[in-house]
Amino acid sequence: MVAAALAHLSVLEPLPSASQNPPARSPGNASYRIRAVLDPATHHILATGTLAWRNISRATVNELRFHLYWNAWRDATSSWMREQALAGNRGLARRPAEDFGGIDIGTLAIAGENLVNRARFIAPDDGNTDDRTVLAVPLQKPVAPGETVEVELGWTARVPRTFARTGRIGNYYFVAQWFPKIGVVTEDGWNAHQFHAATEFFADFGEYDVTVTVPRGWVVGATGKLVSTADGNPGGVQHRFVQADVHDFAWTASPDFIERRERFEEPGLPPVEMRLLLQPEHARQADRHFKATRAALKYYGTWFGAYPYEQITVVDPVTIFNPASQGESTGGMEYPTLFTAGTRLWAPTLGTQPESVTVHEAGHQFWYGIVATNEFEDAWMDEGLNTYSTARVLEAAFPNQFAATARYFGGLAGWAYPDVRWSRAIDGNRLNAFRPVASFENQATPTWKYWPGSAGAITYNKTALWLATLERTIGWNATRAILATYFRAGAFRHPTPREFFALASEVMGQNLDWFFDAVHRSSATFDYAVAQVTSAPAAGGFTHTVVVRRIGDGVFPITVRVTCEGTVRLLNWDGADRWKAFEVLDTAPITKVEVDPDRVLLLDVNYTNNSWTARPRAAEAASKWAMRWLNWAQELLLTYAFFA
Amino acid sequence: MPSSPESSRTVPPGALRTPVLGAFLEGWRRVFAAPVVVVSVLAATFLFALPMAALLRGSIAAHLGSSLEADAAATGWNAGWAAEFEAQAKGLERTFTFEILGFGGTMATLSRFLDNESLNPTLVIAIGAYITLWVFLSGGILDRLARGRPVRTSAFFSACGTYFVRFLRLAVIVGSAYWWLFSWLHPFLFQTLYNRWTRDMTDERDALALRGALYLVFLVALGLVSLVADYAKVRAVVEDRRSMISALLASIRFIRRRFFRTTGLYLLNIFAVIVILRIWLSAAPSATAAPWLALLVAQVYLLVRLWAKLAFMASETVFFQGELAHAQYTAAPEPVWPDSPSAEGLDNLARRP
Repeated sequence: MVAAALAHLSVLEPLPSASQNPPARSPGNASYRIRAVLDPATHHILATGTLAWRNISRATVNELRFHLYWNAWRDATSSWMREQALAGNRGLARRPAEDFGGIDIGTLAIAGENLVNRARFIAPDDGNTDDRTVLAVPLQKPVAPGETVEVELGWTARVPRTFARTGRIGNYYFVAQWFPKIGVVTEDGWNAHQFHAATEFFADFGEYDVTVTVPRGWVVGATGKLVSTADGNPGGVQHRFVQADVHDFAWTASPDFIERRERFEEPGLPPVEMRLLLQPEHARQADRHFKATRAALKYYGTWFGAYPYEQITVVDPVTIFNPASQGESTGGMEYPTLFTAGTRLWAPTLGTQPESVTVHEAGHQFWYGIVATNEFEDAWMDEGLNTYSTARVLEAAFPNQFAATARYFGGLAGWAYPDVRWSRAIDGNRLNAFRPVASFENQATPTWKYWPGSAGAITYNKTALWLATLERTIGWNATRAILATYFRAGAFRHPTPREFFALASEVMGQNLDWFFDAVHRSSATFDYAVAQVTSAPAAGGFTHTVVVRRIGDGVFPITVRVTCEGTVRLLNWDGADRWKAFEVLDTAPITKVEVDPDRVLLLDVNYTNNSWTARPRAAEAASKWAMRWLNWAQELLLTYAFFA
Repeated sequence: MPSSPESSRTVPPGALRTPVLGAFLEGWRRVFAAPVVVVSVLAATFLFALPMAALLRGSIAAHLGSSLEADAAATGWNAGWAAEFEAQAKGLERTFTFEILGFGGTMATLSRFLDNESLNPTLVIAIGAYITLWVFLSGGILDRLARGRPVRTSAFFSACGTYFVRFLRLAVIVGSAYWWLFSWLHPFLFQTLYNRWTRDMTDERDALALRGALYLVFLVALGLVSLVADYAKVRAVVEDRRSMISALLASIRFIRRRFFRTTGLYLLNIFAVIVILRIWLSAAPSATAAPWLALLVAQVYLLVRLWAKLAFMASETVFFQGELAHAQYTAAPEPVWPDSPSAEGLDNLARRP
C-alpha cells in the first residue's frame, strides 16, 4: 500500500508555491461595512453597518438568517449554557448578572424598511424556545440566485465577562462574533445552526471594512489591515481595518498591550508582517510567540499552501488564573488574520505553552481561515486536521524540546518533568484524552449533536490520531499530497467531508473508504492484543502458536511480528475476526511477539497488551517504580506529619 | 500538677537568655548524637509506606505482564504505558503518575498541602495512621532529646507510652485548631478573598504576589499553632505535665514572653528545611537512574529531612530548657523507670553543690 502510494505520488502535480499564482479567491458574497464605538464604562458596543449579501445558491431565498452568538450568554437558558451544564460546567450559570452579555438589534432594514418587528428567534436544532442565537427575518421581496441584497444594521452589544475566549476582563476586550452574522445558504437551504457548547462557527467569505472607536491610548488589533486611524472624536480614536476574502471579523483593545512587530520571510513563501500584542508580564516571551508563528507559517505554507494575506496579528490574552472569579477561558482562538494564543507568567521552556497553542491557532489560518469548513457539522475538518498538523509542526520546529509540565500553587507555578518527554504520536495527537471517550461518538455525526463532555476529544484528538494512522499507513509524502491538494481545492470555499474523502482516494489512486469507514464513520474502539503464545516440540525445532485477539469492535489490518531468537517474521492479518491463530515453525524458541509493531494504528487504546516477550521485565519495572513511589509516599507522609 | 519553674522564678540568673543560634545548633547536635532514633523513625516511615508500595508493585507487574513495554519502563519513564496504566487505575493506583518523579513530586505534595486539595482516600487513611504513630513516638523522642544522652529502648518506649494518651488529648485540641485553619481560614483566604481580589486582576504578577501573601498569612497561622503545640509537648515532657490544657497555656505564656526568640528559632528551623529542599532540587534522581541508587539518594534526603524535623523538636527543647534553667538536669545518672525526666532533673538539681 505504501509503495503504491509513493508510486502514485510521482505523477502528482507539484505542491503550490509562491512562484505560482495564489489560489482563486473567495466568492465574497457576505461583505460588511461597520462602524462601532466601544464604551468601556458601560461595556457596551454601539454599532451600525451594512451587509451586502449575494445569494450564491441555486434557490430563491425568502428569509434571511442571522447568528446572534452573544445571546448565548444572555442568561442560563440558552442551548450553549445548557450544554455547558451538561458537560459539567454548572458554575457558568451561577455567574453574577453583570457577567452576562447579549446583542440587541435596533435596525435591520432593507430598502428603508425596518424588519426587526417581523423577525423571530428560531431554534432549528433543539427547539429550545429560550435560545436566541438565530434570528430569522422574513423578506418582503425574495432574493433570487445571484441577486444581492443590502441590509442596514444597527445594534447594541453588551460585552460579557469572558465566555468562550470572548469578552472583557479589566481593560482587556476581545470582541468576536459581535455583530449580526449572516448564515450560509447551501443547496439544501439555510445552514444556520444555534450556538452550541461543542461547536464554533460557519460563515461565507466577504470583504470587511470596519471602523472601531476606542479610548485614546488603547491599542487595537483586528482582522485585516489597519488602513487609517483618526483622532479628534469625542468618543476616542477611530481605527479602520479592511480585509477581503475573510469570513469573520474580530478585534481586541486594551491600554495595556505591548506591541511587537516582526516580518516572516521564507524562501518560496510570500512575506507576512507579524504583529504581536502582548500582556506586559509576558514581554520576555515575545520571541517564543514569534518563533512559533514563524514555524506555523513556514511549515503549513510549505506543506499545504502559502498563507495568502499580508499580515497576521497574534494576541496574547489576559491570563485566566482563577476561573472561579475572573471568568471563563481566554486562551487560544482563531479568527481570520488574527488569533489569540495564551501563555503563563511562569511558563517553563520545556513546556509546550505558548508554542503549542500559537502554532495551533496560527495553523487555523489554513484549516478554518482559508479552507472554511462547516464547524457546526464537521468540526473535525478544521480542528482535527489542525491538531494533526500542529503536532507535526511542533515536532519539526522544536525537535526534542518539550516535556510534560504541571501547574502548582493555585496554577501559578509551572513545573516541567524532563523525564517525561513530549511525543508527537501520543501527546501531539492527544491519545490519552481520547482513550476514555473512544467509543462515545460516531465521528460522522454532526458535531453539534456530540455529547458536550466528549466533543473535544472526538473532534480534535480522534481526527489527529486517524490522520497520523493514515500517515503511518501511506507515508508522509502521500498524506501531505492529500492535504495539500485538499487545501488547494478547498481554499476560500466550504468543502465537505465527502469532498475530502473523495479527494483523498483520488490523490492516492485507490479507494480509501475502507479506512474512513473504520476510523471516521464509526464509534468502534480499536484494541488488538496478544492473547496466547505456546510452543510445542516439533521435528527439528518448535511449533509456536500465537493467538492474536481483537478486543475492540474496530477492525483494521494488522501486522504481527514474531521473533524467534534472531529470526523475524512479519505476518499479516485483516483484523476482521475476533481472533487469529498463527503457527510458526522454527528451530529456535520464540522470544517476542508484537502486534502492530510499528504502531501504525494509533487509535489502539491499549498498546501494552500488543506485545509479548519470553523474557519479561515487568517485575524489574514494577520494583523500580514501586520503590520510586515508596520514596514519594514517604515524603508525603513526612510533609503531612510535619506539624504533628 | 508540678509547679512551673517559670512561675516559681527559680531560674538561676545568667541562664535567662538562651541564644537562638545556640539552641538551634545544640538541637542539631543532639539529634546527631541520637542516630538510632533518626534511623528508626526513617525505618518506621519506610515500613509504613512499604505495604502500599508492595500493592502498587503488584498492580504494575500485573498490568505490564509479559509486555515489551516493560523494557522501556524498566529503564526510564514509559509515558505511553504509564498513561494506559493510569487510565485503568483504581484506588491507590491512581496516585502513580509522573508527579512522583524528582523534585516535581515534592512540589506537587507541597502544593496539594498548601492548596488543601483532596487526597486519595487510601493516602488519607495512611496519613492519619502515620500521624498517630508520630503522636505515639513524640513522647519518647522528646524525652530522649531532652535528656541529651542515650536511653534504653525500654525507657524510650516507656516514655512513648507515658505521653501517648496525653499527646492524643493534645492532638484533639491542636487538631481542632488545624481543622479550623483548613476548613475556615483556608477557604476564607483562598476562595473568598482571593476570588474577590482577583476578579478584575489582569496581570498574573499581581496574582502571584497576592497568592504568595495569602500563603504567608496561612503559613503564619499554621506556624503559630504548630509553635504553641511544640512547646506544649516540650513542657509536657520536660515538666511531666499531665494536663494538656495547662501545657498549652504554659506554652503560650512561654512563647509570649520570648516571642521574637521563639519565632526566630522556628524560622531558623524552617530555613534549614528550605536549604534541604534546595539541595534535593539538585540531587533528586532522574527517571533513568538505577533503582537502588535512586532509592539510596531518596532515603538520604528523607533521612536529612527527618533529621531536620527532629532537630526542630530538639532545638525547641534545648531552648526551653535553657530558658528555664533546666539545662543541667539531663545529665547523668541514668534514669530508672518510672522516673520522669522532670524527677531526674530535680534529682540532679538537688545533688548540686
